[in-house]
Amino acid sequence: MAVFDTPEEAFGVLRPVCVQLTKTQTVENVEHLQTRLQAVSDSALQELQQYILFPLRFTLKTPGPKRERLIQSVVECLTFVLSSTCVKEQELLQELFSELSACLYSPSSQKPAAVSEELKLAVIQGLSTLMHSAYGDIILTFYEPSILPRLGFAISLLLGLAEQEKSKQIKIAALKCLQVLLLQCDCQDHPRSLDELEQKQLGDLFASFLPGISTALTRVITGDFKQGHSIVVSSLKIFYKTVSFIMADEQLKRISKVQAKPAVEHRVAELMVHREADWVKNTGDKLTILIKKIIDCVSVHPHWKVRLELVELVEDLLLKCSQSLVECAGPLLKALVGLVNDESSEVQAQCNKVLRHFADQRVVVGSKALADILSESLHSLATSLPRLMNSQDDQGKFSTLSLLLGYLKLLGPKINFVLNSLAHLQRLSKALIQVLELDVADIKIVEERRWNSDDLNASPKTSATQPWNHIQRRYFHFFTDERIFMLLRQVCQLLGYYGNLYLLVDHFMELYRQSVVYRKQAAMILNELVTGAAGLEVENLHEKHIKTNPEELREIVTSILEEYTSQENWYLVTYLETEEMGEELMMEHPGLQAITSGEHTCQVTSFLAFSKPSPTICSMNSNIWQICIQLEGIGQFAYALGKDFCLLLMSVLYPVMEKAGDQTLLISQVATSTMMNICHACGYNSLQHLINQNSDYLVNGISLNLRHLSLHPHTPKVLEVMLRNSDANLLPLVADVVQDVLATLDQFYDKRAASFVSVLHALMAALAQWFPDTGNLGHLQEQSLGEEGSHLNQRPATLEKSTTTAEDIEQFLLNYLKEKDVADGNVSDFDNEEEEQSVFPKVDENDTHPDVEPPLPLQIQIAMDVMERCIHLLSDKNLQIRLKGKLEHFLI
Amino acid sequence: MAAPCPPPPPDPQFVLRGTQSPVHALHFWEGAQAQGHPVLFSGSQSGLVHVWSLQTQRAVATLDGHGGQCVTWLQMLPQGHQLLSQGRDLKLCLWDLAEGRNAVVDSVRLESVGFCRSSILAGGQPRWMLAVPGKGGDEVQILEMPSKTSVCALKPKADAKLGMPMCLRLWQADCNPRPLLLAGYEDGSVALWDVSEQKVCSHIACHEEPVMDLDFDSQKARGISGSAGKALAVWSLDGQQALQVRGTHELTNPGIAEITIRPDRKILATAGWDHRIRVFHWRTMQPLAVLAFHSAVQWPSPPMACWPRAPRISGSASGRSTHARDSPTPLPGDKEGGQGGGHRAPALT
Repeated sequence: MAVFDTPEEAFGVLRPVCVQLTKTQTVENVEHLQTRLQAVSDSALQELQQYILFPLRFTLKTPGPKRERLIQSVVECLTFVLSSTCVKEQELLQELFSELSACLYSPSSQKPAAVSEELKLAVIQGLSTLMHSAYGDIILTFYEPSILPRLGFAISLLLGLAEQEKSKQIKIAALKCLQVLLLQCDCQDHPRSLDELEQKQLGDLFASFLPGISTALTRVITGDFKQGHSIVVSSLKIFYKTVSFIMADEQLKRISKVQAKPAVEHRVAELMVHREADWVKNTGDKLTILIKKIIDCVSVHPHWKVRLELVELVEDLLLKCSQSLVECAGPLLKALVGLVNDESSEVQAQCNKVLRHFADQRVVVGSKALADILSESLHSLATSLPRLMNSQDDQGKFSTLSLLLGYLKLLGPKINFVLNSLAHLQRLSKALIQVLELDVADIKIVEERRWNSDDLNASPKTSATQPWNHIQRRYFHFFTDERIFMLLRQVCQLLGYYGNLYLLVDHFMELYRQSVVYRKQAAMILNELVTGAAGLEVENLHEKHIKTNPEELREIVTSILEEYTSQENWYLVTYLETEEMGEELMMEHPGLQAITSGEHTCQVTSFLAFSKPSPTICSMNSNIWQICIQLEGIGQFAYALGKDFCLLLMSVLYPVMEKAGDQTLLISQVATSTMMNICHACGYNSLQHLINQNSDYLVNGISLNLRHLSLHPHTPKVLEVMLRNSDANLLPLVADVVQDVLATLDQFYDKRAASFVSVLHALMAALAQWFPDTGNLGHLQEQSLGEEGSHLNQRPATLEKSTTTAEDIEQFLLNYLKEKDVADGNVSDFDNEEEEQSVFPKVDENDTHPDVEPPLPLQIQIAMDVMERCIHLLSDKNLQIRLKGKLEHFLI
Repeated sequence: MAAPCPPPPPDPQFVLRGTQSPVHALHFWEGAQAQGHPVLFSGSQSGLVHVWSLQTQRAVATLDGHGGQCVTWLQMLPQGHQLLSQGRDLKLCLWDLAEGRNAVVDSVRLESVGFCRSSILAGGQPRWMLAVPGKGGDEVQILEMPSKTSVCALKPKADAKLGMPMCLRLWQADCNPRPLLLAGYEDGSVALWDVSEQKVCSHIACHEEPVMDLDFDSQKARGISGSAGKALAVWSLDGQQALQVRGTHELTNPGIAEITIRPDRKILATAGWDHRIRVFHWRTMQPLAVLAFHSAVQWPSPPMACWPRAPRISGSASGRSTHARDSPTPLPGDKEGGQGGGHRAPALT
């Protein structure tokens, strides 16, 4: 819309107005000029710049009192001209700069003149526009030592405005302007970057203002939260940009020892600062105080953008001034690490980005000083951790642990320096152990019994994606928040990932062995260490870190497993030894349960106290938990090792199976899910598959443990579980074990009959299932199954008056056995005289070809052996055994 | 030093199941250097040779080459990857096991159906010597392998009446390159043959019953033999190559089926017809442990093999299972270990 394109035309139009203004300086005339100016093209305006500026500057310079309104309009007009033109002469720039800043000068006080807010705003904008309009190199020549006093005045003016003005608009404008003056403007007009020499010169110049700028800005930053976040954000930005520019390690290392003689007058030279070592040290100390203040205030600032800016501050300062501000590194890192788990996701993301950036740049790893600071912080945090865990609320604990986690993340591979110091390691491990202390008072754990044992077939509901993460909820002394536990797990995983695994495992194994008080926690930690070492769930900040090699990891896991499954750590008392009897008692007196479940305290000691001095509920609970943790650990190890875990199945599968058959509900559940984890890890698609494919390992465990039944009273259970979950292929492998079982049963009729009989029961059930009816034999089985059905229907009645009907059933069975033997053409040497009399003649009739009779199939041979035993049990004193014995016969 | 109550003998470390038929021969092999996983070979009555990985404790391969006839002897050649197996089908097979192959590359026809197991003498060289029971019941045939050329037949003098050779041990003294053969005979005597001169250097009668097995420690020049009787005989060889009985060791139950000195020459294990493996300190002949796990013995030879490095003994008897177990490892001068027999060592070191 430019009307006057040529300077001539424009001159013609503008001249009268300019003359008019020079003569009479009124607001109207200024406004008149401004309206005319709008019709002039930029290029014409540039030509006429000096001419137009003259009346305006003249107005400002005329001595005597002036009306504020006039000055304001002149400044606005000036701003308009400057915004459309550029200043090409250094002199003009300097003069305009002085004239503009003088507008707010009051000779009487240090503070900015008491003028209207509009004027202040106009001047600030004028200054800002002026600096933007400065042409190319002019701007750099502007920053020479001689400008120091005038620049200083403008800066203090602006700082004063930013600090003391009420209007938010002015404050922000002042801060913006300050940014421009300090060459930090982020607009597009300053694309040129400074070379080293220029940077140094500017740094030298600005260094004079550093004390003023930093203290004033700190006051602004730490001021009232209510002043609005944008002010704090810009102040923070200016603060860190200024500090990181002046204190940049890059610049400082090039500062010579001796100050070059500045070519300025003495008064100005006095203002110059030489940034040599002492100055850096002093300034650094002072800045540290300010920075600490800022961090304390800002890290809890309610507005997320402010906290985000703090992250930037930390990044900038740590990257650029890690040597000059070494004292600050601790607080800065702490601030950063503390914000890792900020409630705002933006802050979190930025934090993580910065952390990753640091790791990439090897800020911490590459600098010994920073690593030292971090490990010191870690140490002191570890020292205070137990106390904090005791006193803080869950939120506080959460942030404390986040801090711990952050330190570890930052240290990365340098963790080992901390761990190699025994004092540090002990602090840390003790703290973790203390924090992870479990609350074991819950009585339900001991109480809940697994009555029904065939739930193995129903696979537990584990999430298919992360079955290893499925762990039993546990209750801790020191916290209830699940997030805290997750943090602790991450802490341990990180340790395992970066730390020297041998050292850590050794240390925690030591603690594990040391006392039963530490054992559960140490096991939890060990589990996570291994998971972490496999590097599966760890977010790796340090790209070059080498994971533990799988071979080594397997060796470590093997040694942990050996400890876990050793006699003294695996076979713990989890229920009262009198339980076998107790089960009956409990059923008869449901009242007992009511009493115990009513009180959830440790004081409820063994309710069956009439038996020998028995373990307390608490200690049994603790034992249960220990077993569960170890079981979960095995699952985690499987996850960590993947296919490699297959080699460990040999020693591990048997103990886990044993626990799957445990009477305590919790243990059995956990063991089952551990087996699921093993399935996932080793590539088996179901528990059955797992058991089937590894039955040789299981059978080995069973047969060896049967040799020491008193030490391993649960061995028959494993066989039971295995039989339930296997198929006919198993039979050749178990055949000799079944013989062992029978032989052992013969030895321990009195004590262990009950558990053996249930194995035999499972065996018979399995046989019936594996070898369905075929031919002659099948016919018989069918018959017997029919019989079984009918008897099952009678069972409730049988159970009630078992003592009276037992004989009937026994009689039936004896008859049935007789028939079966006859049908099989087999002689069995019952020690029952009546039997012998009746059986033998028949056998003779039937057995026409004794020579060609093929050997009996294995399953029938086994079934017969079993029945032979059971027949004796039918007259056992113990009702339970008697019933179980009968049940078995029904199955056959 | 006798402890009031010695700890019970160790249990098997693992029971290898699944051969489906009684085991008659066992042999340990440390495995190829690269793979490093040790292997146990077992020969069963049904003529199969199972290759067990001692890492997974599972059969990794089955070699079938004896037509369903019992396998009585297994031996790996020192250069590796070649296995010798002797069967009751009167065949001695040479297997190539390199790179997962399992094929018979050569076989030797045997003349005798007896129980006598063969013996080899092989260093690292391609040529090696094999002693097999020969024809006529009392001969021992010496072959040069792999060319299968018969070197000689060692036939005792007609009037000696030694009976059948029951066990053979080819060896070579460190200082003397001449191959020697120790043979135990049916009449209870042990003879030392000089193979190159085809004559008996020395001959001692140390048992009443047929010698069932012997083993010889060439470093100490001391050997031991067991017979169907109750006693073990320890004998030594002097500088003049004369055998001398050093002592006998009485056992509770008669019948020794196999004797093996562990390659480190610290302990000695015997397999008895009473299903028990007895472990002795080789230098002092002090009993260390009686390993009772097996429930039956395959007459005449419950096989047993000593693990060359780790202290392991593998024995098999009742068939269908072979087991490896920790065995006591007394070091020289370790008196406790000598008495206790409960000293456990890590399984696979």
